[in-house]
Amino acid sequence: MTSTFADPPGNSPAAAAVQAAVTAEDVSKVYGSGDAAVHALRGVSTGFARGAFTAIMGPSGSGKSTLMHCLAGLDTVTGGRIVLGDAEITGMGDRRLTLLRRDRVGFVFQAFNLLPTLTAEQNILLPLQLAGRRPDRAWFARVVDALGLRDRLGHRPSELSGGQQQRVACARAIVARPEVIFADEPTGNLDSRAGAEVLGFLRSSVREMGQTVVMVTHDPVAASYADRVVFLRDGEIVTEIVRPTPAAVLDRLKSLEA
Amino acid sequence: MLRTTLAGLRAHKLRLLLTAVAITLGVGFISGTFVLTDTMNEGVAKTFARSADKVDFAVLPSSPDPDERISADTFRKISALPGVTDVHGVVKGDAALVGKDGKAVGDFPTVGISVPSGSLLRYDVDKGRPPSGAGETVLDGALAKREGFTVGDTVTILDGNDRPHRFSVVGLIDFGIDQEAKFFGAVGFDTPTTITMTGERTYREIDIAGGDRRAIEAAAGPADRVYTGTELGAELAKSAGADTEIIRTGLLIFGLVAMLVSALVIYNTFAILIAQRMRETALLRCVGATRRQVFGGVVAESAAVGLAGSLLGLAAGAGLGTAALAGVTRLDAAVQVTAPSLSARTVVLGLAVGVVVTVLSALLPARAATRVAPVAALRSELEPGGGRFRLGRARTVIAVLLGTAGLAIGAFGSLGMEKGQAAMYSVALAGTVFFLAVIAAMPALVRPLARLAGAVPARLGGVPGRLAVANAQRAPRRTATTTIALTVGVGLMSLFAVVAASGKATAAHQLAEQFPVEFQIRTQNLDGRVPPSLAAAVRERPEIAAVVETRRQDARVGGEKEELGTVTPSALGTIVNPEMKAGSLAAAREPGTAMVDEGTAAQPGRGLGDTIQVETSRGTVPVKITAVYGGGAQISGIIVPEADFTGYFGAVDPSNLFVKARDDVPASAARGAVEDAAKPYPAAKVVSAAEFEETMTRAIDTILMIFAGLLGLAIVIALFGIANTLTLSVVERTRESALLRALGLTRRGLRRMLSVEALVMAVIGAVTGVVLGIAFGWAATNAMADDSRFALPYLQVTGYVLLAGAAGMAAAVLPARRAARTSIVEALAHD
Repeated sequence: MTSTFADPPGNSPAAAAVQAAVTAEDVSKVYGSGDAAVHALRGVSTGFARGAFTAIMGPSGSGKSTLMHCLAGLDTVTGGRIVLGDAEITGMGDRRLTLLRRDRVGFVFQAFNLLPTLTAEQNILLPLQLAGRRPDRAWFARVVDALGLRDRLGHRPSELSGGQQQRVACARAIVARPEVIFADEPTGNLDSRAGAEVLGFLRSSVREMGQTVVMVTHDPVAASYADRVVFLRDGEIVTEIVRPTPAAVLDRLKSLEA
Repeated sequence: MLRTTLAGLRAHKLRLLLTAVAITLGVGFISGTFVLTDTMNEGVAKTFARSADKVDFAVLPSSPDPDERISADTFRKISALPGVTDVHGVVKGDAALVGKDGKAVGDFPTVGISVPSGSLLRYDVDKGRPPSGAGETVLDGALAKREGFTVGDTVTILDGNDRPHRFSVVGLIDFGIDQEAKFFGAVGFDTPTTITMTGERTYREIDIAGGDRRAIEAAAGPADRVYTGTELGAELAKSAGADTEIIRTGLLIFGLVAMLVSALVIYNTFAILIAQRMRETALLRCVGATRRQVFGGVVAESAAVGLAGSLLGLAAGAGLGTAALAGVTRLDAAVQVTAPSLSARTVVLGLAVGVVVTVLSALLPARAATRVAPVAALRSELEPGGGRFRLGRARTVIAVLLGTAGLAIGAFGSLGMEKGQAAMYSVALAGTVFFLAVIAAMPALVRPLARLAGAVPARLGGVPGRLAVANAQRAPRRTATTTIALTVGVGLMSLFAVVAASGKATAAHQLAEQFPVEFQIRTQNLDGRVPPSLAAAVRERPEIAAVVETRRQDARVGGEKEELGTVTPSALGTIVNPEMKAGSLAAAREPGTAMVDEGTAAQPGRGLGDTIQVETSRGTVPVKITAVYGGGAQISGIIVPEADFTGYFGAVDPSNLFVKARDDVPASAARGAVEDAAKPYPAAKVVSAAEFEETMTRAIDTILMIFAGLLGLAIVIALFGIANTLTLSVVERTRESALLRALGLTRRGLRRMLSVEALVMAVIGAVTGVVLGIAFGWAATNAMADDSRFALPYLQVTGYVLLAGAAGMAAAVLPARRAARTSIVEALAHD
């Protein structure tokens, strides 16, 4: 993919934690009750800086996906607070949460990102249409070109490769200019080349468009595209790396699993 | 394999139930029909047995002809037999009760029945005592209540010649088991009075106490048959059972329609389940299940579902039958209600129908399951049933062939063939054949139809609306079968509605065109005569423009019994204006001629130009047929000029008077004048054309409502089918729904999406049904008769589509709630 905002990896973010786009304060999450209770999150507190690319890592069962779901307003917390932009989302009802996701959050999932009945273009514009907002055509064109999707707009997901599908999902996430994009293993189902394209786009959206991205991954290479990596184990943040490299991430992971 | 199947069923109890509902409803209706009719039969049999118990022997005519009687001679012989302690000859005939308004009650004269006072009294005396002597009568309880008479009142009853007699009411009787008494109402007298009043001198039945069978048989002779009390009860129950049989057959036809719809729903459900379980099936194949085992597994599953549904259906049927029974009992108190009867036959039949229909419906999906390749277990999933549907060559050929055949037969039946029953049957056949073509072609029609039905919701419903319309189109086969199930019920409903509306329009048109009179004066008795003085009295009224008299006389024509008629000459061609099919009205006015209706003209020797030999009081007279007329002008048979008629038969009193009021007289004034003139004649009934039309309209509407009620079941099953399809689709699209919710679709939006999808499916089904119903209703109307007029009940058919749409949306409520409740996080993780 030839991105107009491609950028070599490794550059430090301008101001990592100047202002948080999303903040978690002592967030805990318990599934079940009594003896069967599972503590998925145990008092997580951290902030995700505006205009930064943050990766969340951890071994399986560490609670990284749960943390992301809570941050994005997909799941409710058992305790603590989450503030997204200027809004405290903990305690919001389903309707307000839905509208918040629609207007201020973008999503890229590992798989099953697109509605099979809609074309690529319709999929990209879906959140805007759900909100009844008019798309900014110039911005749409820029995003589509940046992702190399111009000649794929009329295709349905079944006619797109996995990488193309994931790029459509990226376009959808960014076209509404959300306050934060949450990506859940966005490259988990892709080969390394397609994965690199998606990751490259996410990073350049941060660099060049000032987007905020929070990504859950277990792939050290994917994590190395981020400005900062937060490590979870057993529902707690145990450490973090700023300006990660694949090797550094791998080392830290190994030490966590040991 | 069976164990796997059963484990699968146990794991999906809800799905099992949902699928079984369609079968439950169908089997419930069928077994309910049996429960109802069996119980009715049993009640009737018990009632008859109780009533027949009171006689030792009964003598009835052996011939099944209802007009056959027992002679007075036989009665006398039997009465004289040694050992006979009591005997009652049952006499029945017209004896019209006059109501408080001075006119004979009801549309037909009440029946006069002889009521014995001794041990042979088979009826229940509700109040008072049996009649005895020339001045006493008893009334049927229901009749007395309706007309406001009770014991101690004095009533007027007309004898066979419409002369009034006064009686005092000494009792109220439940004639219950007597069919005639039930329909016409009855008054009872002692036997001699009954004979005087009705003019009947022969007997319907002779009831005997004591005596000896052989002697009675010898006295009765071969024309009559002797029964014991028990035999009589059984015989009467059997003939009453024939009525129940008609009800049963009628209900079962609707039951079959319901089962057909159930079959479609089951087929669809299994097809969807198989598609969704493709990976599961492939896994079974991977670990070594043979095709046969896979097939057997699905069939076993369907049998289990069918069995469960049928068992529930039997329970529902028992309830339904009991409820219907309560309704029937309220209408017809004579039938003694016993406990609802669930016979072994009903159970076996209900289970068999339910299981067989379910298994048959699942055969095709089961075959599809065997085609799943083991490697499919390893592939990432394809959307089941999705993708663009292309009509296969076989399907295209079948659809085109059947469609063409259906259209051709229909066109031939409605336009080419001679009007009448045969043409109607070919239209019915054409409808069935064409419907099969629609079934075959429906998957290809779903897309355009969905675009049409979804045009408004897609525009107004926002993103959820558009997504819903797209969803309705994404699995064309599934949508096609779901909607076709609804098409069956709605199509038949529209067909009936169109035929009914056309029938009404035809009748109204004929009346206005060919018979523009306001009133008819006739006797209750169809063979009765109106006094000529009444015609004169009406004619004298200033409000009246014309009085037309029609006369009828039985005569033998060429040795056969025929009826000749005549009409006031000045009215022919002006007020009585039959449509001439051959010859002319002028030709039929000539002396020595006759005109005949089409039915008569079709018989040999009765056609145009033929000469018939009429036996008259003056000997045999040749009459030439110079014209053939069509129906609609309230005349029928052979019509001769009035002067000839008088010449042949002398002065015959008119059978009917038709009264035309002057145009400038208000309807109420005209009615008052006619009623006033008819007042001295209690047997003369004044019927206005408007009332007649209203009565007819109401009768047609009632039949239509009954049909609609019975077809309602098929429609309800189809709606369950929509709910079922939607539920399965919701399960299948769990992740998709979660994605939409994550992207900002509200719960309400998600619910709306599913209701719109259901709406679109329901509207597709209903519109297809309405279009088919109208088309074949038109064809049927055309095939019925030459002069039938087509009428489109716009409001009704539009109502059907709207109702179906609303019901479809109601069907989506549960699946939609379920979809909206699902947690996004769990659904995203769902695989």
